[in-house]
Amino acid sequence: MPELLRAEALTTDLGRRAGFLRPAVSLRAVDGVTLSIAEGEAFGVVGESGCGKTTLARTLLGLQREAAGEITLAGRRVSGLAPAEARRLRADIQYVHQDPGAALDPWWRVGATLDEGLRIHGVGDAAERAARIAEMLAAVGLDADFGQRYPHELSGGQQRRIGLARILLLRPKLVILDEPTAGLDLSVQASVLRLLAELRARFGLTYLFISHDLTVVRRVCDRVAVMYLGQVVEEGPAEALFARPAHPYTRALLAAAPHLDGRAAGPSLPGEPPSLRRIPAGCRFHPRCTRASALCAAQTPPTEAAGPAHHVACHHWREAA
Amino acid sequence: MRSSSEPEVTDAALTIEDLAVQLRSRGEVADILDGITLTVPRGSVTGVVGESGCGKSTLLRAILGILPGRATTPRGRILFEGRDILPARAAKPHGRIGFVPQDPYLSLNPVFRAGDQILEIMRRHAPGTRAEHRVKLVELFRAVQLPDPEAALHKYPHQFSGGQRQRLLIAAALCCDPALIVADEPTTALDVTTQREILGLLRELVRARGLSMLFVTHDFGVLASLCDEVSVLYAGRVAESGPTRAVLDTPTHPYTRMLLSCHPDRAVELLGIPGAVPPATAQPAGCRFHPRCPVAQPDCRSEVPPLLPWPGGRAVACPHTARMEAHALA
Repeated sequence: MPELLRAEALTTDLGRRAGFLRPAVSLRAVDGVTLSIAEGEAFGVVGESGCGKTTLARTLLGLQREAAGEITLAGRRVSGLAPAEARRLRADIQYVHQDPGAALDPWWRVGATLDEGLRIHGVGDAAERAARIAEMLAAVGLDADFGQRYPHELSGGQQRRIGLARILLLRPKLVILDEPTAGLDLSVQASVLRLLAELRARFGLTYLFISHDLTVVRRVCDRVAVMYLGQVVEEGPAEALFARPAHPYTRALLAAAPHLDGRAAGPSLPGEPPSLRRIPAGCRFHPRCTRASALCAAQTPPTEAAGPAHHVACHHWREAA
Repeated sequence: MRSSSEPEVTDAALTIEDLAVQLRSRGEVADILDGITLTVPRGSVTGVVGESGCGKSTLLRAILGILPGRATTPRGRILFEGRDILPARAAKPHGRIGFVPQDPYLSLNPVFRAGDQILEIMRRHAPGTRAEHRVKLVELFRAVQLPDPEAALHKYPHQFSGGQRQRLLIAAALCCDPALIVADEPTTALDVTTQREILGLLRELVRARGLSMLFVTHDFGVLASLCDEVSVLYAGRVAESGPTRAVLDTPTHPYTRMLLSCHPDRAVELLGIPGAVPPATAQPAGCRFHPRCPVAQPDCRSEVPPLLPWPGGRAVACPHTARMEAHALA
């Protein structure tokens, strides 16, 4: 598969500029992330809250300006640009909001919200807009009369469908799904996941799937990157990564996820989720890692190959297996 | 009519018998709970699982005695420590039932110190002086493994992380020495790693303090790792109940079977359940699951299926489970 999106050593700083009697505050939320997403792939990004998943997505979208690094979209360099220009060149990347209810205007009928996106993107003909909306509502499994409803009249699952329809109307190539199943009931989650698979096949979409729900990621994604404090600590084919996790953090995450069989989970992960304000020296995970050595506290681990297309950044990954 | 002054002797921490609650809204009557029967055995964790709209929250409110004013007079009994606590005029077991809420971020007032908010509960419901309360609270903070328990007393909610706030709320639930803890999805807002720690803590507290717990959740993984017994709710009725392991391994009610087949851990193919949970103002007659059930029979449309005893200490509210067997094989 040809590469659709590539990020090379991507770094994003969040913060504010210095003001009167106010020092500049800067947090490096994404720090040197390199990833490559192939066309048609579902690429998962997992990690605890605050690990930089959403900031990474915003940077790829162009909503957040990268401090360093390069982004290539379909072979074309789209980084290092002013925000408006960056967003224009990245129109092929669209984002589905984590809380689709909050992303819909409560005073607007859903149809008007859908129509607005098309108008902004220059689809001038009202008849064509209406036709495309009707077609897209059908594609996400809703009747055409849903266009007449207000957001509060929709269930959580229906709101997600509208959120998807709104994005897909713009005919993106890459869709960033931010926690697409958070807060959904099991049966609704199943139908949303099924819809995502259908839409991916039908429109030839590529997904960047951000989630903290590992059982869902395992189910949906072809490849997975695990983030910790702004860095990718492990990346590989979903199957290999879930079957043979190489990084101790990945292992801890997998062990923590509750399973139906109630199987006795592995050792738990001590300590609080880390803060970007206090990034540990050396390997960022070492204060919580059971395998940490003096080396881990002193040196940043290099990224090594742990298998075909499987990379891990840990000094001790070989011993851990 | 039993006299509430003579406690009944029972080995259950909480017994709910045939509980029904209706809410009036805009002239319509919403049938929220109907014929709920469940037991929380002493010293164990009983899970209540179900999707949105199944009546989980109303069940919690009924137990805690905080049903909204528009609730009609509920039917049935909620027996706690041998007394029916359901009637509006019954003496409420303040402090004897601890509550752990869902969202640790919304459940503490940001402008007051967390410690003071818990001390306020103790001042109202626990015997002793303020000094004694403080000593006890520090002990509780230690029991829920908050770092630096003495200092925690003086901190504001924003100075704690999400996991720590949930620990604070667990301490608050324990502050009046309850016999029963009622928990409303206390780990939904947390990361899996933190969730795991909190579930471990709850299990430990139940064991060490001889507590009983009613744990409401929509997450079957959490259910499997914490609860001894489970009741599966659908549209305000119990669809199925029994030991958690047995219910998860061999789900019997068509709803439980279909719901579990939606779980990413188990699903061969993610199908979902056709249709949606009915609105509480328009519950279907007969079995409330029949419009979505693949094996519904004519009698399901008219007869309310009773909760039938099932081997292995289980109960199932469906007389046609054998058909589901055949359906699954087909």
